[in-house]
Amino acid sequence: MGRSTVTAYAQVNATTRALYATLLTPEVWHALIQAPSFDALLGQLDKTAYGAYLKLERQILTPRRTVYQLRWHLTQAYEKLIRLTPEPGRQLLIQLWRLYEVDNLKATLRGIETGASWDEVRRLLSPMFRYVTLTNDDIQRMLASGTIIRAIERIRHTPYYETLIHAVERYEAEKNLFPLEVALDLDYRRWLWQSIAGLKGMDHEQALRLVGTSIDVDNLLWAIRYRIYHHLSVQEIINYTLPFGYQVRDADIRAIAEGADITTVVKRIYPQLEGLEETAVPLKGETSPQQHQLATLERALYRHIGKLCRGTFLGDPFHIGIQLAYLMLLEYELRDLIAVVEAKASQLPVERLASIIDIEWR
Amino acid sequence: MFRPQAMEKVELIIPEREVVRTTEALAASGIFHHIPTTQTTTGMPARVSDEWQTWTADLMAVERRILLVMEELKINEGTPPLTPPHIIEPRVAERDIERLEHEAETPIRELEAARRRLLQLQKYVAQLTPIANLEIDLGTLRHLRYTFVMLGSIPVANIERLESSLEHIPFALITLRHEGHLATVVLFGLQQDAVALNRAARSAYLNPLPLPEDYRGTPAQAIAALQAGIERTRQHISEYETEIAHLQEMRIRHLRHLLWRVRASHALANTITGYDHLQHTYLVTGWVPKASHARLEQIIAQVSDKVVVETLEPRQEDSGHIPASLKNPSFLSGFQGLVTTYGQPNYDELDPTPLMALTFPLVFGLMFGDVGHGLLLLLVGLLLAGRRIKALRSAAGFGVVVALCGASAMVFGTLYGSIFGFEDVFRAVWFRPLEEITEILLFAIIVGVLLISAGIIYNITNAALNRHWGRMVFNRNGLAGLIFYWSLLGLGARAFGVAVPIPGAVLAIVGGLSGIGLTFAEFFEHLVEGHRPLIEDDVGTYLALAFFELFETLISLFSNTLSYVRMGAFAVAHGALSLVVFIIAEVIGARGSIGYWIVVILGNLFVIGFEGMIVGIQTLRLEYYELFSKFFSGGGIPFRPLSLIPKAGKLNAPENAGS
Repeated sequence: MGRSTVTAYAQVNATTRALYATLLTPEVWHALIQAPSFDALLGQLDKTAYGAYLKLERQILTPRRTVYQLRWHLTQAYEKLIRLTPEPGRQLLIQLWRLYEVDNLKATLRGIETGASWDEVRRLLSPMFRYVTLTNDDIQRMLASGTIIRAIERIRHTPYYETLIHAVERYEAEKNLFPLEVALDLDYRRWLWQSIAGLKGMDHEQALRLVGTSIDVDNLLWAIRYRIYHHLSVQEIINYTLPFGYQVRDADIRAIAEGADITTVVKRIYPQLEGLEETAVPLKGETSPQQHQLATLERALYRHIGKLCRGTFLGDPFHIGIQLAYLMLLEYELRDLIAVVEAKASQLPVERLASIIDIEWR
Repeated sequence: MFRPQAMEKVELIIPEREVVRTTEALAASGIFHHIPTTQTTTGMPARVSDEWQTWTADLMAVERRILLVMEELKINEGTPPLTPPHIIEPRVAERDIERLEHEAETPIRELEAARRRLLQLQKYVAQLTPIANLEIDLGTLRHLRYTFVMLGSIPVANIERLESSLEHIPFALITLRHEGHLATVVLFGLQQDAVALNRAARSAYLNPLPLPEDYRGTPAQAIAALQAGIERTRQHISEYETEIAHLQEMRIRHLRHLLWRVRASHALANTITGYDHLQHTYLVTGWVPKASHARLEQIIAQVSDKVVVETLEPRQEDSGHIPASLKNPSFLSGFQGLVTTYGQPNYDELDPTPLMALTFPLVFGLMFGDVGHGLLLLLVGLLLAGRRIKALRSAAGFGVVVALCGASAMVFGTLYGSIFGFEDVFRAVWFRPLEEITEILLFAIIVGVLLISAGIIYNITNAALNRHWGRMVFNRNGLAGLIFYWSLLGLGARAFGVAVPIPGAVLAIVGGLSGIGLTFAEFFEHLVEGHRPLIEDDVGTYLALAFFELFETLISLFSNTLSYVRMGAFAVAHGALSLVVFIIAEVIGARGSIGYWIVVILGNLFVIGFEGMIVGIQTLRLEYYELFSKFFSGGGIPFRPLSLIPKAGKLNAPENAGS
C-alpha cells in the first residue's frame, strides 16, 4: 500500500465511514417494522438519515412519493462518493450507479407501453442527475415519442441504444418487453464486469469480492427464476444468464437449468451459507414450496453479501471496497425500506413483514 | 460603483383579474426581483392556485411536444424574442400543436419506415455477399426437409453463449462477417431439433433475416434484385425528405413563435404559482432598486389603479437574502465576470470589481513586461472588445481585461526595456529584471504588501458598513491585523538596515498591543458586540487556541506576503524565456537569417500564448486566494429581474430533493 493510495482514499474513506454510521440499526429496523401505520412509519423515518428527504407536507407524501424521496438518500450518497473517489475506482462506482439508469430506462419503456405520462412515470424513477448518460430530458422525449421503436431512436447518444435497437426486433415480433429488459440487464453486467477488470491490486480484489459476488447472486437467481417461474428451456436459461462470475461457474448455471436440486448447487458454491435450512413450510402469501425455497435462498444470499460488506470495514481501509460495501449496504437498506413502506401502505400484518425483512445481520 | 445598488422591499397586492397583466408588466420592467414566498405577511400559510399549477404542467407537456415536432422537422429553437410574446392558453397551444403534429406525422412516419426498409435491404445484401458465388437457388434453402438453416445477425458477445447453450444438440454455427458489435452468422442443425434451435437462437438475440419470397434465384441474382430495391427506397427517402424540407420552410416561424409563446406562458404561470394567493387577491413580494421605485409605481399605475404597491421595512430575516445588483460601467463587465466566478458579492459588502480592475492588469503587467507582447495583447483585446468577430462577441467583456493587461505589460515593458524579447533595442527606463533580480523581487514584495493592506482595508470598510465594530477592530483582517502587519514590516525593515522613521521600541509596543488584540480577538469581539458568553470554550482550551491563532496569523501573513514574490520571479522568467528563444534562434541560423527570424517569431508566439496563459492563471490565483480571501465572502444573491423569456432549455431543469 503506497502513500499515494492512502492519500487518495483518506477523504473519501472519512466520508464513507461517516455515512456508514448513519445506516439504520437493528433497533430502528425493529421500530419501523413494528410501526402500526404508514403515518407512524413516517414519524419513525423522520428521526433517521432519511428524515431530511421527507420534509414535505403530509398530504404530498403518498407511498409512491415517499419511496421517491427515500431514493434521494442513495442518489446523494452515490453522487458524493463518486465525486470524492479517486480513479480508476471512480469509474466502477459510476458503472455501479448506472444500474439505476438501467432501471429507469426499463420503467420508461413500461411507461411507453402503457401510455403513461411523464407525471405518472417520474416518481417511479430513481432521481439521477450527475454521472448519467440518460437524462430526465431524454426520458421525457422517449415518453413523448409514443412507441418503443421511436423512443429507442431518441437515445442514440447513450450506450443503451445498440443493445436495444438489436433487441427491439424481438419486441416487435413478440410484443413483450422481456427481451429488451433481459438484454439491458445482461449488457449492464458485462460493462460492470469490464469496469472491475480495469482495476488493479486491492481495488480489483475487493471489487471482485463484493461486486463479483453480487453479479453471481443475480446470475443464480435469474437462472432459478427462469426455471421456476418462466419454465424456460435449458438453452434459453443459459443464453439469458452470464458466462462469467466470481464464484459461480457456467457448470452451476447449467446444472440449475438442467433441473438439479437448487439447494445442493448453492451449497456447493457457498458451503458457509446460513439459513438455507429454514422451515420448508410456505408462509402466508407464498403459493408453493418452490416459491418459499426461492425466498429463503434470496434472503440467505443477500445476508451473505451483507456480511461480506460489513466485514470489509474491519480490514485494510485504503481501497475501493469500503465505498462499494457502504453503497451496497445502502442499496439493500433502501430496498428493504421500500418493502416496509409498501407493506405499511397496504396494511400487511407485522408478523408477515417481519418474516420478509432480514435484520439479523445488520 | 463600490457598493451594490440600494434595494427596497416591496409588496404588491394584486386583484385576481389583474394578475396576468401585472405580472407581464413587472417582467417587462426589468427592475423587479421576485421572491417566491411560502408565508403571507399576515403569517397565514400560502395557498397556491391550482389553476396556475395546471397551466404549468400542461404548458410543459405542450413545450415537449413542440420540441419533438421541431426536432423531427430539424428546426432549432432560434434566438429568444426581444420582447415577451403574447400569453397563450394551454388548450389553444394544444390545439395548435396537434394540428402541426398531424401535418408532420405522415411524411415523418413514411420517411422512418423507408429508412428502416433501406437498412433491412442493406442487411440482406451484407448477409448474402459472402455467399454470392454459390450457385444454389435460395428457394431450396427455404424449404429444407432434414436440415435446419437460420441466417441472421447476433451480438458478438452472445456467440460463445449460444454455442455453449447448444452443447447437447448437433449444430454448426458459421460466422460470415463482423460488423461492429454484431456478426452475421448461419446456424445449421437438424430439422428435428428445430424447436430447441429456434428457442436457443431467439434467446441469444440471433435475429433471423428471412429473405422475402420476392427475392429468388441464386444469391447473386437476389443481390441484384435487392440493389434495385435499395435504389427505389433511396428515391422514396429523397422524396419524403423534400416534402419534410418544404414543411420545415413553411412552419419554421410558426413553430418557433409558438415555442416561445408557450415558454413565456409557462414562465408566467410558474411565477404566479410562486405568489401568495388569498381569497381574491395575490400578494407578491420582491426587491426593486431604490432608484427605480418610482418607475415601478408608474408602470403598475399604467396597468391598473387597483394594484397596491407597498414598501416594506426590511426585517431581521431579510439580512443575507437581499439581492445584490452590481453597478459598474459596462467596460468593467469582464472584471465583474471574474469576480462573480469567485463568488457573488453580498448586498452589504463592497463590490471588489473596481479593486480587481485596478490590481489585475498591474499584477499581470509586472510579470509580463514587454512592449511588443503587450501590444499584441492590447490589439487582441481591442479586437474582442470591438465585437468585430461575430463568433467571439460573447467574449467582448473579457476583451477589455486582455486589452488592459496588454497596456500594463507595455508600460512595464518600457520600464524593463524589453520589446518582443529584445533587450537591446532601447534603454530600460527603470531596470532589467534579469539583471537586477534582487530589486525585482523586493519590488514584488512591496506590491504584495500594498495589495494585502488594500485587502485588509476593504475588510475594515465592510465591517464598518455592517456596524461589526468588534470585527472591524480585532479581526486578523481588521485594524489590529493591519497594525500588527505593518509593525512587523517596520521591525523587519529596521533589522535589514532600512531607515524607518518610527523608533523600533514604538513599533515593538504597537505590534505587541495589536498582537494581544489579535490573540484575544474572539473575547474582544464578543465584548464589543454584546455577544455572550464572551468565551465559548473553557479558559484553558481558549488560551491554547488563542496562542495558536496568533501563530497562524503570523505564518499566514508571512506566507501571503512571500506569495507575491512569484510576480518578480515571473518577470525574471519572462526575460529568461525570451533569452532562450534567441539562443535557439542563433543555433538554427545566423543572426538575420530566415531560420533565425522564424524561430524568433515562433518563439515569441509561444511566449505570448504559453507564458501569457500561465501568468494569467497566476494573476487570478493571487487575486482570488491572496487578496479576495482577506475581505470577500461571496455567497450573495444576484439581482435577477423577473423575466418571461427564459433561457433556452431552462424550463425543465431537474428538480431538487424536494426538502
